Amino acid sequence: MAVVGIPILEDLYPVTMDMWPLEAKEFNRIWQFYENLKQGRFTTTKCKDCGFVAYPPRVICPECYSENLEYIDLPTKGKIIVFSEEVKGVPLGFESPLIHAVIDLGVPPVRRLLSRIVNCPAGVLKRGDEVQLAVFPVPSIPIEKGKAGTVMADRVFFAFEPVKK
Amino acid sequence: MSRKAVILAGGQCKWGVREAHIVDLFQEAAKACLDDIPTLKPKDIDGLIVATSYAGRCSFQVNTAPVVAERCGLKPTSICTRCDTLCAGGSTGIILAKGLVEAGAADIVMVAGGEKLYTPQKWEVFYSELASVDHDWDGAQGMGLPPPFFALTAQEHMLHYGTKKEHLAAVSVANYNYAADNPVAQMQKKLTLEEAMNAPIVVPPLTLYDCCPITDGAAACIITTDEIARKFTDRPLVYIRGTAQVCLNSVSANFPGEHLADWKHTRIAAQKAYERAKVTPNDIKVAQTHDCFSISEVIEVEELGFCKKGEGGEFCASKQIEIGGKVPVNTDGGLLAVGHPFGATGIRQAIEILKQLQGRARHQVKDADIGLTHNLSGANAEHTILIYGREPVK
Repeated sequence: MAVVGIPILEDLYPVTMDMWPLEAKEFNRIWQFYENLKQGRFTTTKCKDCGFVAYPPRVICPECYSENLEYIDLPTKGKIIVFSEEVKGVPLGFESPLIHAVIDLGVPPVRRLLSRIVNCPAGVLKRGDEVQLAVFPVPSIPIEKGKAGTVMADRVFFAFEPVKK
Repeated sequence: MSRKAVILAGGQCKWGVREAHIVDLFQEAAKACLDDIPTLKPKDIDGLIVATSYAGRCSFQVNTAPVVAERCGLKPTSICTRCDTLCAGGSTGIILAKGLVEAGAADIVMVAGGEKLYTPQKWEVFYSELASVDHDWDGAQGMGLPPPFFALTAQEHMLHYGTKKEHLAAVSVANYNYAADNPVAQMQKKLTLEEAMNAPIVVPPLTLYDCCPITDGAAACIITTDEIARKFTDRPLVYIRGTAQVCLNSVSANFPGEHLADWKHTRIAAQKAYERAKVTPNDIKVAQTHDCFSISEVIEVEELGFCKKGEGGEFCASKQIEIGGKVPVNTDGGLLAVGHPFGATGIRQAIEILKQLQGRARHQVKDADIGLTHNLSGANAEHTILIYGREPVK
């Protein structure tokens, strides 16, 4: 695929223009979060030494600096505290309506989590509405693996969606 | 006698949609700065701190400081570096320059900030804003462009304190009217309350004039010691009395306040800066706060202690932010009307306080002797406050 004005970039992947995370193990030590997401699990890291639960997941405990961490499940359902709806002028990469909400998943540190709300038309959401985790695929990326050649790494990302009544 | 930092001079180029390269804008700003102090020559400047965040993305230029030094004819021998704290970059540069000149590690430092944000195709600057927030967590949730975040903030302020759209509109009107005669402002027009109330929707409750524009521009100022400054100027000296920069958050999941309209980090920064400057909120005669959105200024006048928490809307709408009010705010037009080339904004604010405290501002606050600048940066990640005065801290 040609890049207008920069023909040398044809068929090349520019990571500096990628809106999604580099999730693969080769580039990210919290790859487990994304692997869990693929199973429909919303997880984060808990410190096995001091018990602190951090979100987003870490490679060190931000409280005691221990590296002795484990993945725990967070709730996948919550309630809308406030929300905003952007209908016009939605940035490249997102579809209208672009809805954001502060949601309460019921337990710290996700009593006030800011997330995108998907699978929802404009004008129907209300404060207090129930939402649930929504996992969706995002484009795979090529990773050079030396003699093994280039492999495509699959990716997913998440948002929340209204619970159908 | 200890060395005390002052802001000696400053200037900004014309801000707006500029047919220019980022290094052109830096040259224009450096010239505007030295035009403000004709006795000072480029060869006198031994330090350069460049504040830019988007040079790396929109101008394909990292390690910006040596490039700016070369283009501006500067040959720094004490410091030549860049800082990137997005919307607070200019203020960060001034804080660093203060520390350097007071420590004797530099004598005369130019702090220059600038951005070239309008790209040949407009999508790129908006897309690049995915990098302004925590890319993997907030950018990927579509929080790169700030209107949704500040729309949520405004909603929570309305919910908890009864703030109304009219209160937000009053901020836009005040700041546009301040900028109407500012020749370097992006928006040079008067605005009526009716126009502000009936403007096109961006993200409810925010409409067009509640949001600052995308801006190309640069600004530069000179930070030195009072003793050195006296060799170059007869104007009253303007001391940097106290500063603070507080970061309690940079990802939306861990916002430090009770809700998005409760800015704990601003309060901590204000308390630290007031303590260091040995002043109280009542001493502030003029302030330049970070009005990236009208709601920001409403919350800032509260958290900076100019009025009670929750009363910011009424404070602004009752003209307390205008000339003759309790604390005139954003007297050159602020981010809403002068524009917001991220790294340059803190310098623009410092220049307006310099002029106010020297009695040569366009909208002069009578007897202004203590002034304050404030920035928020990122997804409300960090708050930066500087307090300036006609006298040093004793």
